[in-house]
Amino acid sequence: MQIRRTFLTTFASLALGAAMPSWADSITHEMGVTDVPDTPERIVVLEFSYVDALASLGVAPVGIADDNNRDRIIPAYTDVIGDEWVSVGTRKTPSLEVIASLQPDLIIVDLTRHEAAYDTLSEIAPTIVLDSLGGDYFAALEQMEVIGAALGRADEAAVRVATHKAVMDDYAAQIAEVSDGVVAQFGVTNATGLWLHSPMSYNGSLLEMFGFSSTMTPGEGEVYETNYVPTTLEQLSVVDPDILILGKYADPAFTDGWVGEPLYENLKSVSNGAVHTVTAHNWSRLRGLLAAELMAQDLIAIMSQAGATN
Amino acid sequence: MTRDGLVFVALVVGVLLASIWSLSAGAVAIEWSVIANTLFDLDGPKQDYIILKSRLPRTVLALLTGASLALSGAIVQALLRNPLASPKIIGINSGAALGVCLMVLLLPSVSLAYLPIAAIAGGILAATIIYIGADLRGASPARLVLVGIAVGFLCDAGVDFILVTSSDAQFSAPLIWLTGSLWARGWTHLGLVWPWLLVCIAIALSLFYRLDLLRLGPQTASGLGENVRAARLSLMILAVLLAALSVSVVGVLGFVGLIAPHIARTVLGGGHARLLPCAMLIGMGLVVWADAIGRAIAPPIEVSAGIVTALLGAPFFVMIMITTQRKIRA
Amino acid sequence: MMQFRASGGVRWPRLSLLILACCLCAYASITTGGRGDVGFWDLFARDTLAASVMWDIRLPRTVVAMCIGVNLGLAGLILQAVTRNPLASPAILGVNQGAALGLVFGLVFAPVSNALGLQTLAIVGAFTAGFITFAIAGGLGGRLDGLRLVLGGVAVGAFAYAMVRFTFTLEDDLSRQVLRWTVGSITDVRWDDVKLIVVWAGGGLIATAFIAQRLNLMALGEASSAGLGADPRMTLLMGAFVAAVLTGTSVAVAGPIAFVGLVVPHVCRMLIGPDHRRLVFVVPIIGATLMMAADGVSKWLTAPIEIPVGVVVALIGAPFFLCQALFADDIE
Repeated sequence: MQIRRTFLTTFASLALGAAMPSWADSITHEMGVTDVPDTPERIVVLEFSYVDALASLGVAPVGIADDNNRDRIIPAYTDVIGDEWVSVGTRKTPSLEVIASLQPDLIIVDLTRHEAAYDTLSEIAPTIVLDSLGGDYFAALEQMEVIGAALGRADEAAVRVATHKAVMDDYAAQIAEVSDGVVAQFGVTNATGLWLHSPMSYNGSLLEMFGFSSTMTPGEGEVYETNYVPTTLEQLSVVDPDILILGKYADPAFTDGWVGEPLYENLKSVSNGAVHTVTAHNWSRLRGLLAAELMAQDLIAIMSQAGATN
Repeated sequence: MTRDGLVFVALVVGVLLASIWSLSAGAVAIEWSVIANTLFDLDGPKQDYIILKSRLPRTVLALLTGASLALSGAIVQALLRNPLASPKIIGINSGAALGVCLMVLLLPSVSLAYLPIAAIAGGILAATIIYIGADLRGASPARLVLVGIAVGFLCDAGVDFILVTSSDAQFSAPLIWLTGSLWARGWTHLGLVWPWLLVCIAIALSLFYRLDLLRLGPQTASGLGENVRAARLSLMILAVLLAALSVSVVGVLGFVGLIAPHIARTVLGGGHARLLPCAMLIGMGLVVWADAIGRAIAPPIEVSAGIVTALLGAPFFVMIMITTQRKIRA
Repeated sequence: MMQFRASGGVRWPRLSLLILACCLCAYASITTGGRGDVGFWDLFARDTLAASVMWDIRLPRTVVAMCIGVNLGLAGLILQAVTRNPLASPAILGVNQGAALGLVFGLVFAPVSNALGLQTLAIVGAFTAGFITFAIAGGLGGRLDGLRLVLGGVAVGAFAYAMVRFTFTLEDDLSRQVLRWTVGSITDVRWDDVKLIVVWAGGGLIATAFIAQRLNLMALGEASSAGLGADPRMTLLMGAFVAAVLTGTSVAVAGPIAFVGLVVPHVCRMLIGPDHRRLVFVVPIIGATLMMAADGVSKWLTAPIEIPVGVVVALIGAPFFLCQALFADDIE
C-alpha cells in the first residue's frame, strides 16, 4: 500500500512538474481527450465527489446534481462554496435543460452514471468523465489531480493533495497505534437489509489505508469484485469484524431487528461494544479529500471510544 | 363533415398542440418569443441548445416512437384477434431488456452507444422464438399469446437474475433504459432509426385491408383468397420491427401499444382503414404528452416517460375494459 | 385452454418417493448458508452458537420456504379450478407485480410504511391488482373469459412494473432495495414470521380440503356444477377468498414469488390426475419441495452472496411454463 501511494505521488508530481503547462488545455479522461478553457468559471458537477474536489480548491460550482435536496451538500462544502448553486436534478438523470441554461464552460460527470449522455453533454459544454462511483480512495486522489488540471489550477491541486496527505498521515499515525491487527468493517443498512462495503470499495480502501485489516472474502484467497455486498446475519457472523461501523438510512434500521439474537450478541464487535453509527450520507455517498478527512475524524472519535472501553 | 372526419381533425390538432406545448414545457421556462426566434432563426434572444438540441429532437422522437408503438399494438391486436394484446405479448420489451442486460454483463468494454443494437437483437430474437414456438402447432392466437407470455416471463427472470447478481454501478445506465425514458436523447439517436421507422409506418398504414381480412377469422380470410399464413408472418415481422426499433431508442415504454389502439377502437370502431391512423395519432400524442409532462412536472427531476404513460393510460384502460364488458357479453 | 391427461391414482411407492424428495430438499435448504462450519448435526447440539444458527436462522427460513410452497401451490390450484384456466396463478394475474408496487410505495414514502408496515402495503397492492384483473376479465359478472384473464393480468402487471421501475431513476440505495425485495426474498426471516404463515398455511389447507369437491364440480362446467347443487358463483367467491388469504400471507412474509402457483398444480395433475380431493394433499408436498430446493439453490448458487429465492423459482418456473405453452395439447 505504501508503495502504491509513493508511486502515485511521484507520478503526479512528475506529470505536473514536467508535462503540464501552467494553464489547462487538453484533459485526458475516461472517455477520451477534451479541450477545456484555460480557467473555466461556470462549472457543473454531477456527482458529490466533484463538489468535494471543487470545494477543496475553493471553487464554487454553478450547478450541482444534488438530487434536488440541498441538504445533501454538507456544511463542510457549503462553508467553502456558499449556497448559490442551482440544483440540476438527480445524479442519475440530471436535467440537461437546466445544465444548458446555466451556460457552463465545464461539466464533470461520472463514468457509470453518465456514459450514455456523454455526447449530449458535450454539445452543451466541454465534458470530462471520471470514474467516481466505481473508484476507491486512491482513484479519488488521482481524480483530484485531473480536476485540478481541468480547472487550470494544477499546482494548487497538487499542493492541496500534499496537504491532505500530510493531514491523513497525521490521522493515520494516531489511528495506527490501535488499528494494527484490528478488523474494521463498514456497512450501510436501510429498512430491508445490510450491505457491507467490500475492501475494493471507497470506504474499504480508506479503512485499509488506516491500517485496519479486513476479513471480508468470498472464499479462501479470493476477493470481492463488487463494491457493496448484501449480507445476512449468518454471513456477518463469518466476517465478524472487531469494529463494525454502520451507516443507517432508516430508523429503525434493519440491523436493529437483530438485537437480542444470540448470533448477533456474540459478534466480537457487539459483545465488545464496538458497533458505531456514523452518518450514512457522509460515508456512503461522499468521496474525495474533505470527505476522507471527515471520515478520518469519525474514525479517531471511534477509536478513542474504543480505547476508553478497553 | 362526418363524425369520423371531426375526430381526425381533432386528433391532428391535438397532436400539433401537444408538440408545440412540448417545445415550451420543461425544467427551464422559455418565453414563446424566444422559442419562435430560435425555431425560425429570427433576430433576438435565442435558446439554441434547449430548443433545437434537446426539446425538438425529443419531441420528434416521441412522435415517431409513439406512432410506431401504437401501430405495432394495433397490428398485434388484429393478429391475435384480442384487444388486450400488445407488443409486450410478442416478447419485444422483455427480449430487448434481456439483450441490453446481457450486453452490459458479457461485453462490459463495449460502448453504451451500441445499447440500441443489443435491444433490437434481443427483441427480434424473442419474437422469432415466440413465432417459431407457436408455429410448431399452427400459430393460433391463443398459442401465440401463451408462448409469448412464457418467453416474456423467461426473459424477465433472466433480467432479474442478472440485475440482482451484478454490481449495481455497472447497471446504472441500463436501469434507466428499463424505465422507458427520453432523457439525453438527441438527433444522433433519431438519426439511427427515423428512416426505418418511417418506412415501416408507411407500410403498416397501407396494409389496413389485410388486417380487416384477418379480423374476420382464418377461414373467412382464406376463403376470400388471402394466404393467411404469409399475411400473418409478414404483419408480425412488421409489428416486431416497429416495436423493437422504438424500444431500442426510448427503452421499455410499455402501454402505448396497448392503450392507443384501444382508445381508437372505442372512438371509431374496428375498421382498420380508420383505426390505424387514429391509433397512430393517439400514440403520438400520448408519448409527446408523457415526455413533456415528465420534464415539466417536478423540475429539475426528470420523470421517465414510461411512468407518465402508465399513469395517464391506466385509468383510461381500466375504464374502457370495464365498460366494454357489458357490450361483449350482450 | 389446456388439459393434461389423468394418469392413475396415488400409489404408495410414488407417495413415499415424493416425501423422500421433500425431506432431501429440506435437508438441502437447512444445510446451506453463510457459515460453512455449521451442519445438520448442530440441530441437536445444546446452547452452542452453531445450534443458534440452525435454530434461530436456518430452521425458521426452511419452514417459511415450506409454508410458502404450500400456500402458493394451493392458491394456484384453487385459482386454476375456479377460473377453469390452467394458467391462473398470482404472477400471471398481476398479483405479484401489484405486491411489488405496494412494497415500492412503502419504500418511497417512509412515513406511510412506518404507519402501516411494508407487509400491509404489499398485501393491499396484491389484492388491488388481482381485483382489477378479475374485473377486466369479467369476473364481476361471474363469467370469466380465459384469454382475457391472462392478457388482463399481463397488462395490470406491466402497469405496476412501470411504476416499480421508476424507482431505478431515483436513488442507488432505493433501487438496490427494490431489485432485491420485489422479486421475493426470505433472507432473514425469523420465528415470528413462521408463526404467522404456519397458521394460515394450515387453515388454508383445511379450507381447501373442504371445498375440494366443489372444485371438482367446477371442472364439469358451470351448468353441471349448478345442477349438482354447487352454485358456481359461490365456489368462485369461496375459492377466490381462500386463494387471496393464502397469497396474502406469503406476500406479507416473502414478497411476491412467482411460478410456484403456476407450476406446482400442473406437476401434480400430471402425476396423479385431476381429482382435487387428492390434489389438495399432494400439491402442498410438491410446493414445499420446490420452495425448499429453490431456497437451497439461492444460498448456494452465487455463494457467498445470496440471491433472492424468487429469482431462483422464476429461473426454474419460467422454462417449465414455456414447455407447457409449447407442448400442451388442447388449446381453444
